[in-house]
Amino acid sequence: MNGGVFDNMAPTAKRSFIVTIVLFAIAVVIYLFCLQPCEADLERTRRSLSELQDKQSRMNADLRNAGTVKKDLEDLNAALKVYQDAMLVPLLESYAMRAKTLLDPLILGAGLQDVQYNNDTFRALPLPNPIPRQLHTRAAIKVTATGSYQQAISFLLRLEKEFPLVSLRQLGIVSQSSPEHQALTFVLEWPAKGGLTRK
Amino acid sequence: MNSSSLHLNLLKPTERRSSSPIRLRVMLPICAILVCAGLLCWWGMLFTNLMMAKTQASGIEEDLANKGKQHAEIIKLRDEARELKLQLEQLDYYKAGVRSVAEPLAKFAEIVPMRVQIKEMSFSPLPAQILQPPGAKAPLFGPTENVETQKLVIAGLTTKETPVVSLMESLSSGFEKLVTSERKIKSFRQDNAEAEGRKLLSFEVEYTMPERRFAK
Repeated sequence: MNGGVFDNMAPTAKRSFIVTIVLFAIAVVIYLFCLQPCEADLERTRRSLSELQDKQSRMNADLRNAGTVKKDLEDLNAALKVYQDAMLVPLLESYAMRAKTLLDPLILGAGLQDVQYNNDTFRALPLPNPIPRQLHTRAAIKVTATGSYQQAISFLLRLEKEFPLVSLRQLGIVSQSSPEHQALTFVLEWPAKGGLTRK
Repeated sequence: MNSSSLHLNLLKPTERRSSSPIRLRVMLPICAILVCAGLLCWWGMLFTNLMMAKTQASGIEEDLANKGKQHAEIIKLRDEARELKLQLEQLDYYKAGVRSVAEPLAKFAEIVPMRVQIKEMSFSPLPAQILQPPGAKAPLFGPTENVETQKLVIAGLTTKETPVVSLMESLSSGFEKLVTSERKIKSFRQDNAEAEGRKLLSFEVEYTMPERRFAK
């Protein structure tokens, strides 16, 4: 619009034109400084509300399942109790001495003599891949003694009855001059806490 | 006679008016007012929605804060349960690999023939576990092979081969926990030992033992 047209306009039309321009300017100001920030704020609030609602529904679901979780925990603890009782725990840092305290009554009952307890090579528990963490190891105790084959078997039968999670890793029975005094070697394996390589 | 009409326009351009009933000088400001009013209404609506959303959000935040402690306890219990489950799972693998051989060994004493003297009975040692493979930055958590096999070596003296054959036949059934059917006669030869005035024969038989499988 050039100046000529505006000059030729009637005063009422001019007034109307100016009012319109001012009103549109106000509309632009309202849009830029009120509507847009408000819309952005609303968008942010809606997003955070949606996250909060998700969090709330998850939390409510967790709280509803509290009973199930507690029940699971009780069941797991009960199932683990059997293992925890069977775990070889070091006595003053010595696994062999713990094994001695556990096995001496059985050795005595079986009638074996000249008994020695020593640590043998601990082995890692094979687990399927990918292994998340190694929580237990296979502690091994070497027991050497003298006695007859029957006494050795008597010891093993008692051992398997008393400690069902103990496994006979190695056995050595070598005959000596007397069948009552054979050289006996047992490497016994227990589950023990802790990984072998990385904790 | 023709009559002619004269159209005389004495208005200045600024004094001209449109013949249209809709006048632009009126409609334009009305439109602008309507636009402004519409924008204000829109803003009002948005603002109301914003306030409602903020109120709702603060209500939820308050609810979350109230339940937070209880929820944290549940999360802790759940983590504990997950840890115990992992432990149980790994111990189940161990349990699956437990070897129970006392009974077959007790039974073994009953099947040894009269003319056989067992000099040695042993399980072969396990191969070393390689937990630090060459080139690996850190040692492995554990072996990837979940099966272990060992041999049972039975060595003894006899007067002739038939008692040894009889012993091997007896071992072929009822001793599944101790030996498999896979066996190898490692040696069978004349020994220096004598009994009843004749040289004895020594033998060594190697049996493959059942696998220890650390799996569920």
